[in-house]
Parts: sequence; structure tokens; C-alpha cells
Amino acid sequence: MTFRDIPDLALEDLDRDGAIREAADRLPRSSRGGFLKVVAGGIAGAVALGRPPGARAALARGDVAILNYALTLEYLQDAFYTEAERKGALAGAAARLTRVVGAVERAHVRALRDVLGSKAVARPFFDFRGVTESPPSFVRTAVAFEDLGTAAYKGQAHLIESPQVLAAAVGIHSVEARHAAWIRYIAGTLPAAEAFDQGRSRPETLSLVRSTRFVVARPRTTAAKKPAFTG
Amino acid sequence: MRAPGRTPLVSVAALALAAIGTASVSLAIDAYGDDATKPGVRSVSDRAPPLADPLDPAFDVPAPVKLPRSAQESTWAPVERAVAARSAPRPGSAVVARVDSRTPEGTINIVLVLARRTDAEGTLWIRVRLPVLRNNTTGWVPRSTLGGYGIVRAHLVVDLGDHRATLFRNGRVAFRAPVGVGTAEFPTPRGRFYVRNKLTRYRSPFYGPIAFGTSARSATLTDWPAGGFVGIHGTSEPELIPGRVSHGCIRLRNEAIVRLAKLMPIGTPLMIRA
Amino acid sequence: MAGITGLESVGDPASRDRFLTRALVAGGTLLAGGALVAGLPKLAASAQSPEQDAEIFNFALLLEHLQAAFYGEAADTAELDGELLEFAKVVAEHEREHVDYLQEALGSSAVEAPKTFFGAATTDPDAFAAAAITLEDLAVAAYNGQAANLTKGALRAAATIVSVDARHAAWIRAIVGRPAASQPVDQPLSRAQVLAKLDESGFLREA
Repeated sequence: MTFRDIPDLALEDLDRDGAIREAADRLPRSSRGGFLKVVAGGIAGAVALGRPPGARAALARGDVAILNYALTLEYLQDAFYTEAERKGALAGAAARLTRVVGAVERAHVRALRDVLGSKAVARPFFDFRGVTESPPSFVRTAVAFEDLGTAAYKGQAHLIESPQVLAAAVGIHSVEARHAAWIRYIAGTLPAAEAFDQGRSRPETLSLVRSTRFVVARPRTTAAKKPAFTG
Repeated sequence: MRAPGRTPLVSVAALALAAIGTASVSLAIDAYGDDATKPGVRSVSDRAPPLADPLDPAFDVPAPVKLPRSAQESTWAPVERAVAARSAPRPGSAVVARVDSRTPEGTINIVLVLARRTDAEGTLWIRVRLPVLRNNTTGWVPRSTLGGYGIVRAHLVVDLGDHRATLFRNGRVAFRAPVGVGTAEFPTPRGRFYVRNKLTRYRSPFYGPIAFGTSARSATLTDWPAGGFVGIHGTSEPELIPGRVSHGCIRLRNEAIVRLAKLMPIGTPLMIRA
Repeated sequence: MAGITGLESVGDPASRDRFLTRALVAGGTLLAGGALVAGLPKLAASAQSPEQDAEIFNFALLLEHLQAAFYGEAADTAELDGELLEFAKVVAEHEREHVDYLQEALGSSAVEAPKTFFGAATTDPDAFAAAAITLEDLAVAAYNGQAANLTKGALRAAATIVSVDARHAAWIRAIVGRPAASQPVDQPLSRAQVLAKLDESGFLREA
């Protein structure tokens, strides 16, 4: 069995509207009592004893930014697999992976939106420019996305303040790595090329995402204008 | 025993090494020591604090989310640049119509996505419903001329005979209202169309508070400025509804158009039948 | 760990030394750490420290020794064939590198390789796949379970390893035709739980 090299996403021009930048760098709005604080007696470890149902610990500002960054990448993966599944252009193993992994990425989006609440960044608009409708393009791009998602989580792990947020993040990080291996296997490339996986920094990751030009401005289909319809 | 001046790491590790050394495997495992079920075993972690159990994560991830598949889904796409729509998914096939990237209202023009084909060169073509005359025209455009897909799970049906508009969402009736439609002289065209923009915050009681632009065009008012597009809008004469009263537009009473606007997204397919 | 910035390649010996040297000379004393933690309930997050990193790395090393031995034996015996043998060879190399890295990090404190017995698991395709899945999943659960216990520098290093084990886990499943990944999140295990599972596996043998 010979393994193909899958090239990195090319670094190209900036995204058209700064949507990705805005999504990732957005500082949390001041909370308006949106979160319930878990009274932990000042000892972080006590939270490990379990949360009352419905309660969420208040998130540190830095962790909010990191979770929103994760959410942005999960939105991208969710939209990518969801569109691919809807378009129905894939078959066989790639189609199966799309259904299974898409279902997981949608769950990731839900989880992150839920924990971030009103601080969650909005879902961007995407234009996949036919990639979800062409099996070879799809597979190549999926490889890049899953490797990127794994590297992105890895790059943030040591920056997360809350050990509970870290606990959640590592559980997702290893799942993304499984996805990466799976799609690589389907692509005919080595599922694990190196003994050590490198992380990617946030600027590097976002630059790669921008280079795909998949994140676009929502098309303007409304206007404050007097109609000129036939009446 | 910790020698003064040596780093704690080395001294703890030395203990660990001594404990594990030639001991049996089960003892070696016990030497890691935070196992509370083996109280009798001397633990290397008597000195070192036990490793904490994994913490509760800050959030749980729900079960995988299957895609809600419904036959009621339709897809629209913005037109990124003006393009000639063709009769076949082939460069050089007959031009059916030109499609602009903007509507007369200045919004991004959109088309309804119907089918997909890849040509001999590997170019992806999309068959789309067009906002042109003749009504009900479709054509093929390269995928590269379109933007990102939008999904809609609603569709609107206008019955000209019954003077009624019905909005379905996920296959279920979500909205119903009586409508005013075109007169015999200026009939509302029949067929398959879609909602392509929404206008608000204008001052024109004739159109009510909200007006939707559709891809349908009057076949009779061909000289109408801005293309003679059929709209779905409110009215300053609600008493005329239901009835054949308009120049082709689909008129709703104002409270109804406001209700409809909360339920009907841009890109909603529209069927107008007799 | 203060001072660790940028994306140092964990595979680069120079950078490995850098972060671990910092860990070793972090200063402070175990006594201070011990006093802090003493008296807290068992489930409290333990205070991170270089010593604890070493303890955790030794725990990881035990697992990596086991994996290296398993895949090494499978590769050397070469009774598996095709994809499974290729998998064993590639993964054996990865696990050896993991062992090398942890040994270098721990220096003389590194635990010895345990005695192992794999029986048919390194020669029979079904047994091999089952064992590989068990070991890789276990490693992922172990690393994830310790993430919050590690200092930030050690966490960065561990993170470069755990995802590789996760890739291995998906890979072997794909080879044998199982869904390569179906769960939305990987559950962690405590050290005690991991050791109990190792016990159950029967792969570790008396010295």
C-alpha cells in the first residue's frame, strides 16, 4: 500500500469581510447575569464533585475567547459535512464518514453554543464553491480540516485557564484526531504520519481558514427601499 | 529520603524506582498508589499527593446529531457575478437568459438550485430557476458564478382561484391568509418561483409595511419599470382582500404580511396555481 | 510553565531539553506542594508540579513501553500480513519514539520496561486488532485523564502524543472495517482505572 501526500491548504488572500477574524477575536460582551455561578468554596477542585443540573461555572474571559475560536472551527466543519451530506455527491466510505463525523461536529457545535450561551459567536455563512459536490476535492479538504482542527485544539490546550474547560477540550481534541486518521485512511494517505502531532497557533490556523475563502459575508437580500413591484 | 539541595523531582523518582525495582507487577502497579481499594500496600505516593481523578468537564457533548432529512428542503444561492444561463451544462450551449448579480432593489440576486452536473472538462454546472421571462425558465450556470448555498425548509403556495396563500414549514401548514391577486387584465403568473428579497422600512402605504420580491414577472406589464416583478406585500386597501384586484402582485392584509415575514425566509420556493 | 512560547517541535531534542530543564529546576519544594494539597478531598485537582509531571510521565511511559513492546513484537514476528503488518510497523516506530522521548525527559527516573506477554495478540489478526484498539484507547483515556494534572509545559508535550495514539485507534478500526470514530467525546480514565484495565488485559507479567 503506498501512501499519497496530501498538500496543505494554500495560503492565499485574506477573507473578504473579516468574518473569521471577527468571530475569533470577539471579546465577550459584558455578561448580564447570563451565567449561574457554581459556588465552589474557592477550591476549583470542588467543582469536580459535580454541577447542579442546569448550572454552569462562569467562564474566564480568555476561556471564552478560546471556546469561541473552537466554535468557529466547529461551525466550519459542521457546515462542510452537512452540505456534503445534503448534496449527496459522495458515495461509499466517504459518504459514511460524512454522516458519522458530521453528526459529531454538529454535536460539538451544540455543546459549545450551549456552554457559551449569549457569548457564542454567530454562525458564519459559508461558500464551499463546489468542494462538497466533488468527491476528490471533498476528501482532500476534509483531510486538511480534520488535521487543522486537531492542531488547533492542541495549540490552545496549555492556554486554557479552567481545568474543567481543559477536561472538556482534551476529550474533543482526541476525537478530532480520530476523524483525521479516518479521512486520511479513506484518502489513501498515512493516518498517522509522525510520532508527534504538532499544534498550530491561532493566527496560523485562522490564516489557513481564510485562505480557503470558504467563510463569506451573508448575502444581502433585504433592503430599506421602496418596492417597485407591479403592485 | 530527600537530600537537601536535590530537586524534589529526583528524590520522588528515586523512591518510585526503589519501589518498583524488582517488585512483582501487581506491587508495581500498587506503588502508583492512589488506589484506595488496596489499603494494605505501602504506596510510593505516601509522600507524593495522589494523582487527582479526571475532573468533570465544563460542558458535556450531546449525542451525535443526525441530519433532519426532509423532502421539503430546497436550496438557493446568491449570484456572484452576472452570467449567461445556458440550456445545457456545456460551455457554448445556447444562452437562455442573462442573470444579474443584483436585483433592481439593490439586493444580491439569488437563484433556486435544482440540479448539478459535471461536464467533460470537470467543470461543475448547476441548474437554476431564473427570475426571467418567460416565467418558469431554468438554465445552467457554472458553480463558480454562484455563492454559498442557503437551505430553506418552507414553501409557499398561492391559490389564485381560492385567493389563499399557505406557507408550509417542514411539511406542515404554518400560515394561511386570504390574498388579493392580479386582475384578468394583469394576471398573476402561474408556475414555480421563489422569494428573492425583502424590503422594509420604506414609506408606502400602498405596499404595506413589508414587501417580498419574487422571481415571478408580469407577462403583461412588460414595460413596467424595474422589470415588472411580482411582489408579495401589504396593502392600504385591506377591504379588497380576497379578490382579483392587483396588477399581478400578491397582496396580504398588513397583519398577515407581518406574520408571514416571521416565518418565511428568503429563498422560499413559491408555487402559484390556478 | 513560564517561558515556554512558540511552537517548539517536540521531536527536536534541543527543545525537549529546554522545557524539561525548566521543569527540573523549577525550584520550590515538594513540602510546600504537599502541604497545600494535604487535607483536600480526593477529588480535588492536585497542585501541578514538576514532580507530579514526572510521576505522570512515568505512568505514560509504562503505557508506551507496553505499546512499543506489543507493536514491536508484532512487526518482528511478522506473522500478520498486509495492512495489519504495515500498521504494526509504522505504529511500532511511533511508540518507540514516544518511549525515547519520555525516557529522555525522565532521565534516570524513568521506569524500566515491564515484562510483557502478548501471546496470539501479536500474530492472530483478530486478537491483534482487539489488543491494538484496547491499548490505543487506553492511552488516549490515560493522557486525557491526566491533562489537568500536568503543568502547562508538560501538557503541551503530552498533547503531541495523545492525538497520535487517537489516530492509531481510528486507523486500526478502519483497517478492520469498524467505524473509525463514532463517539463525540473521548472519556478520560484515572490512573487507577487505567492500571486496573492493564491488569485485566493480562499483558503485563510478573518480573
